[in-house]
Amino acid sequence: METSDIYILCIEDEQEVLDAVVRDLEKLEEQFPVETATSAEEARSVIEKLLENGKKIGLILCDHILPGDNGVELLIELHKNEQLHASKKVLLTGQAGLEDTVKALNEAKLHHYIAKPWNKEDLMSVSVELLTDYVIEQEDDVLPFMGTLDAAKLSEFIRSGRNVSDS
Amino acid sequence: MKSGFLGLTKTQLAGLVLGVFGLFLPFLLPLASLSIAGHIGLGIFFMAAIFWMFEPIPIYATSMLVIFLQVVLLSSQGPVYMDAELPLSEPVALEEGQWQIPSSALKNDNTVLLAVEPGETESISVYVVDRNGQHVIVESTELDADTAIITDTGHRLVNYQPNSYTEYLGTLAHPIIILFLGGFMLASASVKYNLDKNLTRYLLGPFGSKPRYIVLGLMLVTAMLSAFMSNTATAAMMVTVILPIIAQLEPGDRFKFGLALAIPIAANVGGIATPIGTPPNAIVIAALSEYGIDISFTDWIIVAAPLVVVMLVFAWWLLLALFPPSISRFNLKLEGKLNLSPKAVGLYAIFAATVLLWVTENQHGIPSSMVAFLPVAALVTGRILDKSDIRKLPWDVLWLMAGGISLGIGMDKTGLAVWMISGFDWGAMGYITLILTFSIVAIAMSNFLSNTVTATLLMPLVISMQASGIMGDDFNLLIIGVVVAVACSLAMALPISTPPNAIAMSTGIIRTKDMAKVGVIVGVVGVLIILAYAVFYWPMVTN
Repeated sequence: METSDIYILCIEDEQEVLDAVVRDLEKLEEQFPVETATSAEEARSVIEKLLENGKKIGLILCDHILPGDNGVELLIELHKNEQLHASKKVLLTGQAGLEDTVKALNEAKLHHYIAKPWNKEDLMSVSVELLTDYVIEQEDDVLPFMGTLDAAKLSEFIRSGRNVSDS
Repeated sequence: MKSGFLGLTKTQLAGLVLGVFGLFLPFLLPLASLSIAGHIGLGIFFMAAIFWMFEPIPIYATSMLVIFLQVVLLSSQGPVYMDAELPLSEPVALEEGQWQIPSSALKNDNTVLLAVEPGETESISVYVVDRNGQHVIVESTELDADTAIITDTGHRLVNYQPNSYTEYLGTLAHPIIILFLGGFMLASASVKYNLDKNLTRYLLGPFGSKPRYIVLGLMLVTAMLSAFMSNTATAAMMVTVILPIIAQLEPGDRFKFGLALAIPIAANVGGIATPIGTPPNAIVIAALSEYGIDISFTDWIIVAAPLVVVMLVFAWWLLLALFPPSISRFNLKLEGKLNLSPKAVGLYAIFAATVLLWVTENQHGIPSSMVAFLPVAALVTGRILDKSDIRKLPWDVLWLMAGGISLGIGMDKTGLAVWMISGFDWGAMGYITLILTFSIVAIAMSNFLSNTVTATLLMPLVISMQASGIMGDDFNLLIIGVVVAVACSLAMALPISTPPNAIAMSTGIIRTKDMAKVGVIVGVVGVLIILAYAVFYWPMVTN
């Protein structure tokens, strides 16, 4: 499996929780390198570094309660960055109230809300589906992702997107 | 993976340099028997072949470059041949049988070139009586007062009559390209209205739930669809059908390899069955039609379909033998409902009418390319396909084919094709050796190259073998053409061999070594089956 230039970014202030997220996404890490941050501040610098090196961020998993700016504020801010517009954004939290969540949904185009404590399979399947959507929207060649992501959806895209043909 | 200069890999970079060098190479070699235009044609051929192999630029871009270079360098309106005129003079009669001619007309081997027809010369030997500076006095019985002697034997018009640039540009709308356009539009509309999926659902029904018959059903349906749609789109669609089946197997079950390999094999093989099945067929049909052999849609099916059936049955048997089914029945759930909106029904009618007219070409005589314009016109008239659908058609494939056809025309026109095969004693090769050679070379090449490119590179050679008469009466141009087309589609040993292979491999279900093993067996057996058909069946149906 070749490592792609699409990264997964996990933002979570509690180290054990962060480790758990990364562990649960282990199967994806081979193809989608995982970067972590423990605060909004650190997240910004990680993102800046990645984008500077020409990397893409396919999926952002973000906790709500963070030191400094909270998760919803951070996601809204990131969504304003054009290079992160296509990135799939997930709020992974137990503590975001309805108001914050609605705000994230409307202003950061939040793609998914995962309540803590999460179930490993759910986290994995949500991540796979969102990354599948991301590569369909952003990548010219989706074939390299069929082994890791949703192969049926990607095949359907090849069929209906009509962007691969005989040669 | 991509790095370095211009974002190219090292191989691509080497290809770029080699290709550009190849364009000029013929002018660095002593190729006395080849015309100047032949040199240009050979340069273009070298460049195209190298670019197609190493892909420093996309293969369709190489095709466009070929047409561009031909228009500029070979056409009568291009800068090279725009004002060209062959310098001629008539011999001056002296005493009996002796003639005075310009000394520049006499070649070193004491021959003189006479202009016979535009683009054609005749070489005659003369006896040199005397030389005096500008003139030579020669003796020959073949000269007379009206003979047109070429006074510059190295002139670029010697043995070459340039054709109009419109002939090269016209390949973009060559009848076979239009045939494919019709096919592409039908396929695109079928996908849009899910006709391909619904057909699959109906057609797979009768095969029941026993694994071995499901595999057979999958292969037959895949082949049937890919005979009319692109092999790639068919394979992608069928992958969505087999994934739920594979999910019913235990993780370590080897039967899944067989299932996943059945799709690309059937898609590749199915493309052989009709002229529009896959681009190499088009290259072969176009090349043959340039030579005056017109194959109807019906004829092609009669020639190719029986081979497809045998290949499929063999592949089915092979896959079941290598990867036997482990469970006794599958739950084959195919959901969906036939789309009965007016537009979808319109598509069904257009599809049925077109295919019916295609397969009955021999009965009514309307050329298939003309029929192909029925779906082109009807699908847009009925707004079954709209602007955005048209933009999504695989234009790159049409461009790739057009460049291939154009390259063939140029090679024929410049005398390059005949020259290329003249260095080899083909006559010593029997009919069977010849068929084996072409099929093995084609399969070997197209395992690594695009199938279309392989057909493009081989067909000019096939045509010139006929044109030069080197093979004598044994040679059946039509059969060798079919051999090339079929062999190009039977290369499937590697993920890169064909897009359907790449799709199947990408699912992560199969390993490269499984694909290689099955692909090599299919290739070897394919050569033998081609040989059997070429000896026993094709001579019967092509005469």
